[in-house]
Amino acid sequence: MKGERGASDPAPVPSTFHVPPSTSPAIAAVRALGVTKTYAGEGAPVTVFRNLSFALEERVFAAIMGPSGVGKSTLLHLLGGIDRPDAGRVEIFGQSLEELPPRERARFRNEKIGFVFQFHHLLPEFTALENAAMPHRIAGLSRADAEERALAMLDRVGLGERARHRPLALSGGEQQRAAIARALAREPRLLLADEPTGNLDVDSARVVFDLLEELHRERGMTTVLVTHNPDLANRCDKIFSMSREGIVGRAGYANR
Amino acid sequence: MTFPTFIALRYLAASRRRAHVALISTISILGLAVGVAALVISLSLLSGFQDRIRSQMAERSPHVVVSATRGAALDDPEAVRRLLASRPGVVSVSPAIGGRAWISDLEGKSALPVRYRNAPRESESLEPASVDAPPRARVTASVAARTGVSPGGKVRLTSSRTRLSPIGPLPVAVIFAVSEVTRVGALEKTAEVEVSERFARLLSGTAEGAAALEARLEDPAGAEALAADLTSALPDAYRVQTWKDLNAPLSFALRLEKLVIFVTVALVIVVAALNIVSNVALLVIEKKRDLGVLASLGATPESLRRIYLTLGALIGVLGTAGGLLLGITTATLLDRFRAVPLPADVYLLTHVPFAVHPREVILVAAFALATAIGAAALPARAAARLAPGEALRLSR
Repeated sequence: MKGERGASDPAPVPSTFHVPPSTSPAIAAVRALGVTKTYAGEGAPVTVFRNLSFALEERVFAAIMGPSGVGKSTLLHLLGGIDRPDAGRVEIFGQSLEELPPRERARFRNEKIGFVFQFHHLLPEFTALENAAMPHRIAGLSRADAEERALAMLDRVGLGERARHRPLALSGGEQQRAAIARALAREPRLLLADEPTGNLDVDSARVVFDLLEELHRERGMTTVLVTHNPDLANRCDKIFSMSREGIVGRAGYANR
Repeated sequence: MTFPTFIALRYLAASRRRAHVALISTISILGLAVGVAALVISLSLLSGFQDRIRSQMAERSPHVVVSATRGAALDDPEAVRRLLASRPGVVSVSPAIGGRAWISDLEGKSALPVRYRNAPRESESLEPASVDAPPRARVTASVAARTGVSPGGKVRLTSSRTRLSPIGPLPVAVIFAVSEVTRVGALEKTAEVEVSERFARLLSGTAEGAAALEARLEDPAGAEALAADLTSALPDAYRVQTWKDLNAPLSFALRLEKLVIFVTVALVIVVAALNIVSNVALLVIEKKRDLGVLASLGATPESLRRIYLTLGALIGVLGTAGGLLLGITTATLLDRFRAVPLPADVYLLTHVPFAVHPREVILVAAFALATAIGAAALPARAAARLAPGEALRLSR
């Protein structure tokens, strides 16, 4: 990733995150150790899960399934460092997110982690291209530079023609593809997708899932995907079932 | 363009399409504009009057006065006079001779204490026109009003100085014909009489020399430089003052007046700033989800804070620019077309003057901008403190 930074890159920040080489399969890409998460509810605080542990090797395409309310999204947020556990720790590529100051944690997210949400969460005031270029802008790239790279990524997800449209002018599937282009803008090593097809019709869902799978293989990423769709989950390398009792993993059908 | 500016600009531009945010942003901008315009107009109004007062001050007062540090008379008035006259920009140098006297009509009714002095300008014209004609005097309007004399009438000036006569000490008295009633402007109510130098010497008993020498300059603004020059050139026995020193209490009062008006009218801007606080806070709440998304993409809390600070600055710039345009245009037009008439016999002015001073305009603009950004700082801090996961979870 560092080698691909252009000479015009205004912020060629040397990576200070101690990420071991991606070729090492023994290191867990994602590890949650005894994490507990409690939200301050209306009345009493609500504990989503307690003492939950979870690990995933690199380059694995994993699905998390489970009933609503067991904390699948919360787990994803903890793994992505946009929420903090009340107890336990989260390590991504060996880096403990808790130990990073907010600024560094933000940069880590920008460089290493991509998010796709159930609702595309594209910023409505910006075109698909501007949305897809946002991670580059956050990293400090110039507008022209950022949009050039973003356009290449939109082409990759098949949205090159629709780049200048605002999210409202796109179909549900297109919106989600734009969101994927945005998530993958910085070529993250970890992709976290929270029900990325949950809001789409069957055909669009298949297109989006196919795309995610393709990109996962193509880029050698580690992907964690929350889904309610068993057919799609079964196409993953690994399936985790999450319940009140905890999280249990097994190999997906594709691997049997 | 940095990433926070990029977002802030779009938020402001896009809000026009969203009625309620647009309305509030417009109100914020208008509120600030009104405050800025009000401040510019009121300061211009004040400056208009104060400029008149200052120019009257410069016209009425000697521009530079050299007096004795101790004692009533200058040690070497001639040397000082030569020194003053040799300096560039000095138009005239005259001695200051004067004192206190009673003025009355010839019957001795309606006597009034006055100050008399030698006329700083056209002193010769006050000499008697012929051998048997009386010398002439200029009196201020308040003297004319209180003694009932008018141009052409005669008055008796009785000095406080006495002269020894065969029947004992007698006060020195001279009969003058009033040649002119001077109107010195609304700011002065002093009872003063101007006579020729010769009669001022006679009344005060100053045969030669003077208590002070007064110089008038081509440009009153050069008084301070000349005073500094003279102070170093003259020994300690002489004191040098400018017309600004002489009018220091009045100048101070004028500055105080301006400060009070500034502080009072600036409250309008503070109220407008409260509007900006609620405007930006509303946008933070509205864009909560977007904040969470941006954070998930790697935006630092600091950059999220900057988005809203920039938004405040944009509102500030638009409001200030609008206000300056409105204020300066209004003040300039009101002055040019003499739109606000005044009763001339009361104010000595036919219309309300407005003067736009660039320095004050810059001060107003800086204050308005700083206030707007300061107002945005509070909600901006809230935006930075937002937990991104929480923002996303609650805004599904």
